Order: sequence, then structure tokens, then C-alpha cells
Amino acid sequence: MKKFIAILLASVMTAGILGCGDSGANPTKEQPYAGTTLNLYTWTEYIPDSVIEDFEKETGVKVNHSTFSSNEDMLAKIKSEDEGTFDIAQPSDYMVEQMATQGMLEEIDKSKLTNLSNIADNYLNPSYDPDNKYSIPYLGGVEAMAVNTSKITDSVTKYDDLFNPSYANQVVLLDDFRAVIGLTARSLGYSMSTSEEPELDEIKTKLLTLKSNVKLYDSDSPKSALIQGETSIGAMWAAEVALAMEENPDIDVVFPEEGAYLFMDNWVIPKGAKNIDAAMEFINYILDSENMAKILEEFPYMCPNTAAIALMGDEYAANLAKNPPEDVIANGEYIKNLDIDTLKVYDQMWTELKK
Amino acid sequence: MKKISKHTFRSNTLPAMTTVGPVSLWLLFFVAIPLLYVLVMSFCSLDESYNVVFKFTAENYARLMDPNYIQIYTTSILVAFFTTVLCIIIGYPFSFLIARTKWKHKALLYMMVIIPFWTNSLIRIYGWRTFLGTGGWLNHMLLMLHITSEPVEFLFNKGTTVLGMVYCLFPFMVLPLYTAIEKLDSTLLEASSDLGAKGSVTFRKIILPLTMSGVFSGSIMVFIPCLGYFFVSDILGGGNSDVIGNLIERQFQSGNNWPLGAALSIILILITLLLVKIYQKLGGDMDSLGV
Repeated sequence: MKKFIAILLASVMTAGILGCGDSGANPTKEQPYAGTTLNLYTWTEYIPDSVIEDFEKETGVKVNHSTFSSNEDMLAKIKSEDEGTFDIAQPSDYMVEQMATQGMLEEIDKSKLTNLSNIADNYLNPSYDPDNKYSIPYLGGVEAMAVNTSKITDSVTKYDDLFNPSYANQVVLLDDFRAVIGLTARSLGYSMSTSEEPELDEIKTKLLTLKSNVKLYDSDSPKSALIQGETSIGAMWAAEVALAMEENPDIDVVFPEEGAYLFMDNWVIPKGAKNIDAAMEFINYILDSENMAKILEEFPYMCPNTAAIALMGDEYAANLAKNPPEDVIANGEYIKNLDIDTLKVYDQMWTELKK
Repeated sequence: MKKISKHTFRSNTLPAMTTVGPVSLWLLFFVAIPLLYVLVMSFCSLDESYNVVFKFTAENYARLMDPNYIQIYTTSILVAFFTTVLCIIIGYPFSFLIARTKWKHKALLYMMVIIPFWTNSLIRIYGWRTFLGTGGWLNHMLLMLHITSEPVEFLFNKGTTVLGMVYCLFPFMVLPLYTAIEKLDSTLLEASSDLGAKGSVTFRKIILPLTMSGVFSGSIMVFIPCLGYFFVSDILGGGNSDVIGNLIERQFQSGNNWPLGAALSIILILITLLLVKIYQKLGGDMDSLGV
């Protein structure tokens, strides 16, 4: 009997604690989704914790934040978990397309996004998701070139200049086969995702001539080798160039004439998400110019939110590496997912370059 | 008569299950099944959207014979070979010193090898990059002492890859060597010198044969990880000289071809088994490998 009472007491107390957790977070008119939980799945180091905390305070929604470090990891995770595990994910351009064709995404009701007008037209209706049916752009980047003008006096204007034989052992590139093969393709006037055999042969021949020029492949911090002077020219994300320019005033940013490699990360709602309303609220919250400006202060990537850039001040807006000019976006190219046989060809030429 | 408890189990199952059971389960779930999974995966194919499907194919193994891959295997083996040789050359006298020193703080010397190991190896490898860079400490000192007039470019070649590997794997050479040298009976050395052998002869005929087991097990423990330490060739080699580990990593990441990655892993495992077999044939002791 004693035992029975003890168990009864324990369960009453537990229920009490759980009950307390629920109370104080009931939906109100201002906070219609208070007390609900939003499962957010983003890239690592991409959204400040403070912004998420502010969202929680403002809406009463509890955010469960988990992170990934590659599109493929994210895809595998979403596929392996139960439907509805995540309310928001953050795939890049080509991955939005892949997920959409596999029926993994919910359509987005844009009428609920009152702040969508903050996004510049250039970034809307992208090739990977016409009419933004499934995705809303967050932040992105462009593979720009960085030139140390104290060492290189030629005028550098295009990706093709990286192949100049006089830059032997002076080039730093991203350790990323799509970026390196992509810039080779662009320098020949081809698409970064071409699967045409004669084009691929030409790309391969040209790619292998890079071998004597490239000193270093580094995706983590390509700017370091430039700042330290180990390399004098390279191609990397514009945000890296921006940081390099702050450290070393001799370094200049160049956007390739051939049209640059662009990427854009997007908010999407995976199929079967349990809390779509709060997800929409979150996306709209991030679209707000002030909130986005807070994010930019920490992560100065290429930002489609022009209202947020206006808040960042003239110096920020004038910094081309942080705020690439409009024609770069118009001329740039997003990569596409490769079919299996084409990927094999890319992988083989990449292996041959790096052996 | 004293009464002795004569409790016996009716069958051996229960005692066996409780004692060996947990270890066997551990080995089953965390060694046998994952390895089997890798093996099965290596014969699978990919469908159009890069999902692994259980459709038997030997294509992954056929691709391993790609001339580019073979060149990477060769580079890997060369890097591993030079790393091992360097580890022996530096490690042998060093182990000898700590094993035979009369200094009372012997443990301190031993700890000096171990302690750096408590720091993540990635961080230590990045440390080398900072140290050797053109704006790094070493160049700073060389310039200050007027040994060079321009910064020397040390980084991003196969030499720095080997350096990083030696640095990472050095303790794996020292520890077995230390054990072998420690066990060496000093009366044998006295006997040798009593019989008129010179130092070099004693070393060749007594010390080296008796500590050879340590050299063997150290070499195995350095050589094998060397084939797989892709981050060293990425960070210090500048991504210009891939090792087998890079190939495997790439297939699981950007190449998005897990079956091919699995086949490459199987090759790595086979090379490992082959080396261990050679080691056994040469009279190596499995216990000193820590297995």
C-alpha cells in the first residue's frame, strides 16, 4: 500500500511539473502560435542564436535548432527521419530542385509572407525554383576572384586569367569540384553543369592545365593563404574575399566577366511538417529587414534582402565583396544536380587533377 | 570434515553469457556488422537519385583499377613508407633514451610523448601550418637571423604531408619500441661486452634482433593509419597530393557514391590485413599491436 501511495504521489508530482511547463505559453492574439515547437534545420554557423532567441521571445514559439554541414547530409537525414521531423530546412539552389522533384517539399503560401517585398527581384523566380513555389531565398554567395595587386600587375578580369601560365604555383582555389570544374567550364563559355561529351573533353583538357598553377585547395579558409602571401590570386566565395580585403588592403575583388558561380540557400518546408504556421511566421520574421540586418552583422554573405542592406549603411552597401553588383547576379549561374554518369566524369577529372 | 561448497552450474551457458557475452555483443554490433555492411555496400549500385540500391554489381571494384586511382595508391604507399622510415630513425634513439635512462624522472619523458596527444590532431596540424607558413614563426626567425632574405615556402607539398604524418603518428612508433627496449635484459649487453664485442656489434647482434618486434609493431601502427589520414594531406599538402583516405572521403561526400567509397574502404582493409599477415610471418607478436 505504501508503495502504491508513493507511485501515486510521484505521478501526481510529475504531472504537476509537466503541467507547469505548458502553462504560461498559451496562444494569444499577438502570439497565435505560442506554446508550439518549431523544428529548424539549418547550415552550421549561419544564423545567430540571438536572432532565434528574439524570435522565441516575440512569438512564444519554442525553436529546436539542429544543423548540418552539407546539402547531401541534410537530404540523407530528412529522408531517414520520420516525415514531419523538421518544419524548416535550408537547402541550396540545386538541392531545392532535387527535393522538389522528389516531392519532398510543401508549397509555400507567399500571401502570408508580408515581408517578401524586401527581396530584390533579381533573386526571385530563380532557375532552380520558378516562381518560388517551394523556396524563399535566405543568403548566398558568388565565387569571385581575389587578386593581390602588389604581386600581380596584369589586369585580371575573368576566370580564364587563373589559367595564365605565368601564375605557376600562385593560385588558391576552393577544395570543391563543382567550383573548380565550374569555373573552367565558364571560362570556355559552357554551363557549369554541362553533360555534353565534347564540352566535357574540352573542359578536362583545360582543367588539367591548372595543375601547375594551383598551390593550394582550401575550402575552410582560402583567404589565409592570400593574406599570408603564399598565393597571389585565387577564386573563392566573395565573403572570404571581403575578409581578406580587411586584412590586406592590396587584395582586390574581381567578378569574372564570363559570369560567376552563384549559390543561394533557401528556406523550405519539408513535406509533412507539423507546424507549418509557425514555420511561415519564422520565415517572415527573418525576411524582416531589421532582423536580417542583425544576421548580416555576423554573417556578411550575399543578401537578397535589399531593405536589410539599406540598414547596414553606405560602407556596407558599397563593399562589392559583401554586396555584389546587380549584373553579377543577372549574369551568374546556379549549379544543377548532375546525373549519375555525368557526375562520374566530373569526379574522374577532379581525381586526375588532384592526384 | 569441512564442508566445501560444491555449487556448479548445470550448464555453461549462463556463466559464458554473463562474462563473454557483453564483449561479444559489442564486437558483433560495432565491428562485425558494420564491416559486413561496408562489404555488402561495396557490391551495391546507385539509382538515378543517388540512393543506394541492393542491386549486385562488381563495377565499383572494376573502377578501382582506374590509372588515376593506382597512382594515388602509389603516392599513399610512398608517403606511408617515408613516414614509417622517418619514425623509426627518430623514434628508435628516442625510445632507447627513455627506456634506458638512469634519470629518475623517466616518466616525465614518457609523458612528453603522450601529453600532446590529448589535443585534437586537427588543431595540432593547423598549428604546423601557422608555424611553417610564409608569415609564420619559422620564417620570421630565419629572416631575423638573416639566414634567408625571402620567406621560404615550406608548405603544401608532399614533404610537408610526410612531416605532418610523422608528427601525428610518432607516439605509435615510440610506445611499442619503448616496451621492446624496456624488456631488453641488460645482463645480455654485459655478457656481450665481456666477450669482447664492440658497441656496434652488440647493437647489430643483440639489441636490434631483440627489439625487432617493437620496430615491426611500430611500423604497422604507423604505416596503416598513414594511408587513411586524409586531413593531413588536405591541410599540410594543400590538397595536391591525395592519399587513399581522400579518395574514400570524397566518395562519401561530394562524389556521393557510397558503394564506390565502400569498395575503396575494403581495399584499405585488405591492405591492412595483408600487412598484418606479413608482420605475423616475420614473427611479429599480435599482442604488441594492442589487438
